[in-house]
Amino acid sequence: MSGLRRALIGLAGLALLIGVAVAALILDSNHASPRGLLLGLILGAGWSFAFTGLYAWDRRPGNNIGPLMTAIGFTWFFQGLQAADDSILFAIGTVGGTVPFAILLQLLAGFPSGHLQTLLARGAVGLAYLVTVPLQFVWALFVDPTVQRDCDGCPKNPILIDGYEGVSNAINAFQVLGGIVAIAIVIGIVIANWRRSSETERRVLTPVVFTGSLAFTILLVQLIIGELGVSNTVKELTYIASITVFACLPFAFLVGLLRSRIGRAEEVSSALTIENEQLTAELQAKVEELRASRHRIVEAGYAERRRVERNLHDGAQQRLMALTMNLRLARDKLAEDPTATAELLDEAMEELATATAELRELARGIHPVLLSERGLRAALGGLADRSPVPVEIIETPEERLPDAVEMAAYFVVAEALTNVARYAEAEGATVRVARHNGVVEVEVSDDGAGGADLDAGTGLRGLEDRVAALEGSFGVRSSAGQGTTVEARIPCA
Amino acid sequence: MSTSVLIVDDHPSFRASARRMLEASGYSVVGEAADGAAAIAAARELAPQLVLLDVQLPDIDGFEVAARLKALDGAPDVILTSSRDGADFGTAIAESPARGFIAKAELSGASLAELVE
Repeated sequence: MSGLRRALIGLAGLALLIGVAVAALILDSNHASPRGLLLGLILGAGWSFAFTGLYAWDRRPGNNIGPLMTAIGFTWFFQGLQAADDSILFAIGTVGGTVPFAILLQLLAGFPSGHLQTLLARGAVGLAYLVTVPLQFVWALFVDPTVQRDCDGCPKNPILIDGYEGVSNAINAFQVLGGIVAIAIVIGIVIANWRRSSETERRVLTPVVFTGSLAFTILLVQLIIGELGVSNTVKELTYIASITVFACLPFAFLVGLLRSRIGRAEEVSSALTIENEQLTAELQAKVEELRASRHRIVEAGYAERRRVERNLHDGAQQRLMALTMNLRLARDKLAEDPTATAELLDEAMEELATATAELRELARGIHPVLLSERGLRAALGGLADRSPVPVEIIETPEERLPDAVEMAAYFVVAEALTNVARYAEAEGATVRVARHNGVVEVEVSDDGAGGADLDAGTGLRGLEDRVAALEGSFGVRSSAGQGTTVEARIPCA
Repeated sequence: MSTSVLIVDDHPSFRASARRMLEASGYSVVGEAADGAAAIAAARELAPQLVLLDVQLPDIDGFEVAARLKALDGAPDVILTSSRDGADFGTAIAESPARGFIAKAELSGASLAELVE
């Protein structure tokens, strides 16, 4: 059992004992009337506030509502002390009897969070405490209950300062006025809260708003008719009505509080639904992106095959065709014109050498054999050597990387350097490939014209897809006149 | 009198070899063109008897060029050629108004004479 629960059980026991003691006072009183009703209402409201408050405290330890309800229950018993024949107890009951109304107002204004949200609410509750605690005490100094409350059996006021009846009346008038203002403001706040609440919130607020407003309306009536000098029977009836409604209030708070738990669960569920929808949308976007990227990769594959076919057709194949014709011609001329034949054969050898070089270049474009055999450093060196723009290799990893990562890094550099040579009008370029914290960073920068665009069809989009296929990221920084930097970050555990 | 020929191909090395081969075989090469539009213009101007026409040109498809050449007044005979095999073009060669097709690898004075005469 937790410490809190033990303390709460202790408080429940204390409430029980105080209730029994107060009951004994009422039963033994020679001025309290009607005793049975008073007994039922004091114990009913006191215990119901204390026990439901302790229950709420236990169920929602982080919320102020439970402690406030418990405090109302305990202070409620002060009213019972007014039944005491002992003058000290009677005085304590007189001074403390109004405190629970201030706490109740605080509870109502701050329901269901337990916090007073606005300055107006804090002002109203502050006013309620002012009139029920310090002013009540001051008022009690000048009140002789046997005279002013028309109570013959009441004990003498032990703290009475006699002869200032006017002062006590003035204080009482101020208390009544302050109480009416505070109650009116809080009822206004509660109704305004209710009006702008959602349906779920209303389910929490409705029992409290209804019972609380009813209780305080009755209290207002009670305060007002108290000033009008109506008959004691009417006063007693309104007193009974208010006490009865007050006894019902804690259950309304409890119902509201427990509903707020359910409401909280509904809020969480609705938040989860929204989050779920967001995740689904993100996932859908990701799927669309993947679909597009897969489509582009397949397209890039076809485009690459077309490029290879085109290069073979336009390059080596044409040269070999020409070579065939030259050789055929050379054969035909061999007997009649040996000089022309020799020239034709020279030309044929030149064509053959060029065709061989073109085939080598083409093969390198399909798969860089230097990369697979000797690694990234050697392959990037080869790219730098063949680049028409001077290229400085700043950094490359010492160790071999996984094949897919090496290939991606190589093609990023190769394509970027091709673009530098074709479009950048650069004086030079730098290449940096570094492995940090499980990521291979590839960076190719030039000092050229800038203005490169991922969507301009310069092969950058294909690189992005190649890098994305390895869960990496790809970016191009290029503003006019500022050069271009192509960056790729490829995960490499 | 030797047959006048216009060579249409976008590869200069092929045009040079073809010219040499045709001239060695007794043809008179009256002009060269690197694409379809230039071929039609040259054919109008030079009125060759024969056009050796590459199927894959950078601008207009060779079959289309052949059709336009055949529509000219005094339309020349058209021989299609390509570094690809004739079978790569399906029925397009048979359906075209060209006189015939010779793969570049097979091109010689003799193979040309076979189609033209």
